[in-house]
Amino acid sequence: MSRGFIRNFPAFKLLSDENIDQIHRGTLDVLQKTGVTVYNDKALKVFKNADCDVDFDSKRVKFPPGLVEECLRKAPTSFRVKARNQKHDLLLGPNNVLFFNFPGTDTVDLNTWEPRTPTEQEHIDLIKVLDALENVHFLNAYPYFGFSGGIPEVMKEIEGVALRMRNSTKVTVAIANNDIDRFTIKMAKSIGTEIFANPNTSSPLTYYTDQVNACFLAAEYDLPSMIWEGATYGGTAPASTSGAVILSNAELIPYIVLMQLLKPGARVSVANLVLAQNMGNGAPAFGEIGVSLHNVVFNQVWRRYGIPTVSSSCGPTSSKRIDFQNGYQKMMPTLLSAISGSSVLQLYSSIYGEITAHPIQAILDDDIAGMIGRFLEGVDAGDEALAIDLINEVGPIPGHYLGKAHTRKWWKKEQFAPKSADRLTYPEWLKADKKSCIEYAMDRMEKILSTHKVDPPLTEKQESDIEDILSEARSYYRENGLISDEEWDVYKKNFKI
Amino acid sequence: MNNDIFEDLKKAIKEYDTEAAASLAKKAIGEKIEPLKLLDAMTVAIREVGDGFGRGELWLPDLVGAADAMSAATPIIEEEIKRIGAKRESLGTIVVGTVFGDIHSIGKTMICTLLTAEGFKVHDLGINIKAEQFLEAIKKYNADILAMSALMTMTAPEQRKVIKFLENENLREKVKIMVGGGAITEEFSKNIGADGYDPTAPGAVKLARQLIGK
Repeated sequence: MSRGFIRNFPAFKLLSDENIDQIHRGTLDVLQKTGVTVYNDKALKVFKNADCDVDFDSKRVKFPPGLVEECLRKAPTSFRVKARNQKHDLLLGPNNVLFFNFPGTDTVDLNTWEPRTPTEQEHIDLIKVLDALENVHFLNAYPYFGFSGGIPEVMKEIEGVALRMRNSTKVTVAIANNDIDRFTIKMAKSIGTEIFANPNTSSPLTYYTDQVNACFLAAEYDLPSMIWEGATYGGTAPASTSGAVILSNAELIPYIVLMQLLKPGARVSVANLVLAQNMGNGAPAFGEIGVSLHNVVFNQVWRRYGIPTVSSSCGPTSSKRIDFQNGYQKMMPTLLSAISGSSVLQLYSSIYGEITAHPIQAILDDDIAGMIGRFLEGVDAGDEALAIDLINEVGPIPGHYLGKAHTRKWWKKEQFAPKSADRLTYPEWLKADKKSCIEYAMDRMEKILSTHKVDPPLTEKQESDIEDILSEARSYYRENGLISDEEWDVYKKNFKI
Repeated sequence: MNNDIFEDLKKAIKEYDTEAAASLAKKAIGEKIEPLKLLDAMTVAIREVGDGFGRGELWLPDLVGAADAMSAATPIIEEEIKRIGAKRESLGTIVVGTVFGDIHSIGKTMICTLLTAEGFKVHDLGINIKAEQFLEAIKKYNADILAMSALMTMTAPEQRKVIKFLENENLREKVKIMVGGGAITEEFSKNIGADGYDPTAPGAVKLARQLIGK
C-alpha cells in the first residue's frame, strides 16, 4: 500500500486557534445567511429532507449550522482507496503525504516551448512515466486532454481513461462533465480498481448539474471523492486570504453535507486549487506566494475538521518553460503545503497552468517530491543520531567520519540524492558534456520508457470490457448529439472504429 | 454648470463610484443635458481608464470598477436617447457572451470594457449563453460582430456549435465572429470557422476594428 511520506512533526500553523474559530464561524454564517445555488433538483430534495432552507425556484439552499457540523464530523479522518495492483492502494490521512500529477491540455515542444496536441504515443509515454515514478502515488484525470487524430471533444477524456487503465495500475480520477464519469467509473469497476469521483465547485457559491451528479455516482458506487475548489481570489473570491478561505469552505462544505447525507461516513477529501488573480491580464496567477498563504490557512482549517486536503496549486506555474521560475513556483507551494498538513500534493508534470505538461517535467518534479519527502521525515534526535560518543571518539583533526559504520548507516538515511540534478564538480561537468538537469531527466525518461512494464497488464477480458464501454459511450454521445456526423466520420476512419 | 456635470460624471467613472454615476446621469437628464454628450463624456473617462490599464498603470479591478460605474449610468442615458429619438454614432455593434456551460466572466468583462472605450456599442449577454440567445441578440441589435468567450476545454466546442447554428439560420454571413478565452487557440478558431482570434484583450479590440474595416 502507498502511504507516501510520513510527516514526523506537528503541522505548521500560520494563524491562531482564535483566528481559525473566526474563519469557521464566518463559514457557518455564509452558509446560513446566503447559502449556495444548486442547479440539481435531486440534490435540492436531499437538502430539503435534511431541514435545509431550500427555495426550489431560485435553487438557493441555506444550511443550519448544526447540520454542517454534524456532517463534517461524519466524514472520516483517513481512508483507503483500492488500486488494481495492491501495492498502489492508497491511504489518505492526516500525517501521510501522497503525490500525484497536475494535467496539461497539451504537451510542449522542448525546443520552441510552444504547446501542441500530443500524439497517442506521447500520451501513453507520459502515463508510463507517471506509472513508473515511485513517488507518484496515483494519477489525476487526463494527464493530457486526449491526443491527435480527431477524437471528438466529449470522447477525449474517456479515451484517456482507457489509456490510463491499459498503461498504469495506479488509481485515477473521474471528471464529471457531460456524464463522462458514468463511463469511466464503469471502466474502473470492470478492471477492479476504485476511481476518485470528482465534483467541482463553481465560484462563487454555485453548483452545476453534472458536478453535483458526481456525488450521487460516488454514493451509488461507494467511491472516494476528491472535491475540487478553484476560485481565483480577487476575481471569484475575496482578495484577502482569510476571506478567500471562508469562501472555499462555504463552497466545499455543501458537497460534504450532500455526500454524508447520501452515505454517512463517505470517503471525502477536499482539493484546493484556489489561485490569485493576475490583475494585469485576468489570468490566474499560478505559483504566486498568495497561493501558498491560502494553502497553509486552508490546511489549518481542514485539519481541524479532520478531512484530508489536497493541494492542487503546487503543480501549475506561470512559466512557459522548464526554467528557474518554474522551479521556484513549484517548490515553494509544495513545500509550504506539505509542512502545513496537506495529505496530497498535486505537483507532477504540469508546466504552464493547465495548458502544458511533459514527462521530463514529471521526472524533474520527482526530485522535488523526494526532497520534500525527506524533509517531512524530519530529524531523529535519539542517542544514536546525537552521536555524542562518536564525536568524542573521532576528536579533532586528523580524525574524520568517512570510515565509520555510523556514517555508512546514517548518510543514506539523512541525505536525499536527486536523480536528475547536476551534482558534479566543475571538472566532472566539463567532461560529462556540460549536462543540465533537463538532459539527465531525458536520460531517465529514455530508461523508463525502454524498461518499464505495466504490472499486471490488463487481461483479455478486461481489455474487451474497456472496448465495450468505449463503444457504449460513443453510441450514447452520438445519440445525444455530442458527436456530430462530421466528427464521427473522422473519428471512425482514423481510429478504425 | 454643464461642464461641471460632465466632469463629475467622468470623475465618478474614474473613481469607480456607481451610485454617483447613476445619480449624476439622472440629474443631467433632468437638466435636459444632451444625452449623447453624456455618453461621450463617459466614453472619454472609460478610455482613460482603458489606456491606463494598457500602460500597466491601472489594474483589472480598476477597469472593472470603472465599467460598473459606466454600466450604472448607461441605461438611464440610453432611455433618454431612445425617448428623444437621437442617434448614437459608434464604430459598430458587438454582441458578447460566454458560451453555454461556461460561467467565466472576467476575460469577457475586460473585452467589453475595452471595446466600449474604443467606441463600439457593446451588448454583454453575460455567461452561460446558448446559441439561440446569441442568435436572438444578433437580430435584435443588428450586430456587426459576435464575440464569444470560453475558458474551459470542455466548453470550447460550444463556439463551433453556435457558428453552425448561425449557418443553419442563414445568419453566419451577416456577422463577423471573433472568439477568445483560455481554452481557445488560433488553430481552433480557424477549425471552427471563426473570423478572428486574439489571446489578449487589447489585441481583441484591434481585431474588432480590423474585422469591420475601421
